[in-house]
Amino acid sequence: MSDPPPFPEGFPVPERGLEEVAAAEPQDLAAALAFALLRVSPEPEKGLQRPSLFVAAKAWLRERGRPFAQGWPMPSPSGGGLIVVAVADERQAIWALEEALKSGAVGGAVAALSAPDFVATRRLAFAAKAGGAAAAILRTTGAEGLSAAWRRWRIGSLASAPQAFDVRAPGPARLRAELTRRRDGLPGVWELEWDDDRRIWRDAKSGPAAAEQARGLRLAAGLAGDGLDPFDPVSEGSRQVG
Amino acid sequence: MTVWTRSTLYQKDLVRSAEASDQKPIPFALVERNGRGLCLRAVNGAAQKLGLWRGQSQADARAMAPDLVTVPADPAAEALALQRLALWAERFSPCVALMADGPGVEGLALDMTGGTHLFGGEPAFIAAFEARLAKAGILARVAMADSLGAAWALARFGGLTQIAPEGGAREALADLPVEALRLDPEAVILLKRFGLQRIGDLYPLPRAGLARRFRGPRAGAMGLKVVERLDQALGFRAEPVVPVRPPPAYRSFQVFAEPITETAGVALYLPDLAKALAEQLQRDGQGARRLTLTGYRVDGATTSIEAGLSAASAQPSHLLRLLKEKGLEALDLGFGIDALMLSAPVAEPTLAQQEGLDGERAATEAAALAGLIDRLQAKLGEDAVQTPRPRGSWLPERSEGWDAASSLGFGAFDPVLRPRPILLFHPPERVEAIAELPDSAPARFTWRRVARRVVRAEGPERIAPEWWRLSPASPRPPRTRDYYRIEDETGRRYWLFREGLYGREDQDRTPEWWLHGVFA
Repeated sequence: MSDPPPFPEGFPVPERGLEEVAAAEPQDLAAALAFALLRVSPEPEKGLQRPSLFVAAKAWLRERGRPFAQGWPMPSPSGGGLIVVAVADERQAIWALEEALKSGAVGGAVAALSAPDFVATRRLAFAAKAGGAAAAILRTTGAEGLSAAWRRWRIGSLASAPQAFDVRAPGPARLRAELTRRRDGLPGVWELEWDDDRRIWRDAKSGPAAAEQARGLRLAAGLAGDGLDPFDPVSEGSRQVG
Repeated sequence: MTVWTRSTLYQKDLVRSAEASDQKPIPFALVERNGRGLCLRAVNGAAQKLGLWRGQSQADARAMAPDLVTVPADPAAEALALQRLALWAERFSPCVALMADGPGVEGLALDMTGGTHLFGGEPAFIAAFEARLAKAGILARVAMADSLGAAWALARFGGLTQIAPEGGAREALADLPVEALRLDPEAVILLKRFGLQRIGDLYPLPRAGLARRFRGPRAGAMGLKVVERLDQALGFRAEPVVPVRPPPAYRSFQVFAEPITETAGVALYLPDLAKALAEQLQRDGQGARRLTLTGYRVDGATTSIEAGLSAASAQPSHLLRLLKEKGLEALDLGFGIDALMLSAPVAEPTLAQQEGLDGERAATEAAALAGLIDRLQAKLGEDAVQTPRPRGSWLPERSEGWDAASSLGFGAFDPVLRPRPILLFHPPERVEAIAELPDSAPARFTWRRVARRVVRAEGPERIAPEWWRLSPASPRPPRTRDYYRIEDETGRRYWLFREGLYGREDQDRTPEWWLHGVFA
């Protein structure tokens, strides 16, 4: 297989349609959600911003946590607005998502579903096209079975990028995005990193911040070379004493 | 003005069961315990025929009618039943008031001013009203007069007279006993001692003397106010009527010749109702914020569905769609409904839709959003569709409030430069954590029975407690929180906090670790 195209340039985000994002493991749900939200985020270049919608069952919100707007990875946290719909079961979730997409009132919508059947996904795909909106189905576990989604992703967490100013702190979040199925080309795997300035997921192996990361890595290596383990608080303590 | 009053008030289901058991009606009574032991509170027609009366002791009644069926009275259920009946009576008049002056004297007051011609005149209206109540198994007498007091008197003591002609209250009341004036029993006894048996006896008496004589110690209460009651009955003194619920300003009504028993029938008439209501609203430049569809059942009950709107609307198609979304199946039609009302209890001026500067698109998208929110709320519940709004607090769970979503605007959040999780657990989840130093980040922690080793940690971000919000429910003062952004060996990122500072806060409690959220 040849190298996959760079991300996200090869996959323009404001693509209107249905995608499916699955967490590789249940613990990767937060990463999968963050990825899904960016896939459906409203088009920032157009002056008008439609709100985005998040649909989840009440049990899901209790079990996995409720959305926290200040940590929501939107292009701009204040713009567009966020509507959270708490439903009782999966049937209602599919209905709410379809209504929202059809209405043309929302720019993007994410619904946490466990096992939508093919007919449901097909309806959702049509609704997304009709309303000119992007939709993503967020799945807790790997996607099996037929789906009408244009692309199907599998998201796993990765250790975060090094932080230049504090080697012991987690840096920008990283994740592994695997495109398992797509209708318009070959599947591929990318390592993505959160770019807080542009507020997008970008390819971790390229991009403007690569130089900064390298510097951070050198810094960490330098400390380790001095015989001081940057992750060991005891050696840090002795360093302070010395 | 009409007063309807039940000669007996009882829970209908009990009566039904008593009457259904045999072809011949069984004497039936509700009993309550008072100062004289068990007494009859209400009796049905069969019991009345046997000479039983309200207030009689149960032992006496049993002696007169050995097969009397008695059931303990439930005043709360009776009040509820009367309330339900009042709502049903809104079918005849938008202004229906309860008259629950005491046990055995309950009734309804309907303001029928200018409305009886719709039912074919006063006698026809009274006949129709009584027939409907009888069909529902309720014994009632309906009377009509210029004033509330006169109608009350005629309904209870009027005999064959049920209608006092306009301006004829004085003659109609003259032969009735003084009890018909809604007086205190003490006042009645006193009047009778003076030989004043009938209301007509009071007419020639000098008012000043009457007022002075019946001032009494309890004059301030409802008590002995003979002159006031007389004036109210004769219409010299105004008496306010407080309706069970404020009459809706906008309503459309449909009466059926034959009862409708199927939801499909309701759906058939709904477009016309919605159109009529929308016309009324549009005429006044108003839009409905709340919709109620009420069905009036033949058995004296009502059934209704309600829908809320996030923005005022007067579009028939939108109103119709909302009600359908809410589900007409939720209407309990019972044995059928013979009238249907669509009302807008809450209406607001509609904002003029400007399609200008930022184009038609903004206006249509706002309208589409309002419609979407309404439909979601109608189907899923009022509190199912929410939007976050910033609040003035540093505590994460208090820094965001959740309001019902509205198309009029969304909360604007200032960018937070500190790390904040994408999903927040509320309430936080307890974790077992081990830290190498008391005040440092944890080295390991166990969350949901899985042990995790911390590889990298950032923090603390210290958030002081809001001591001014000390609640009486939790006697201990809130403690300082130290938040850490933590990454474990598998690359998952968590938001943990330690509640309490070692040795400095609340000496007898060791600090506890909590997981408050997860990062991407």
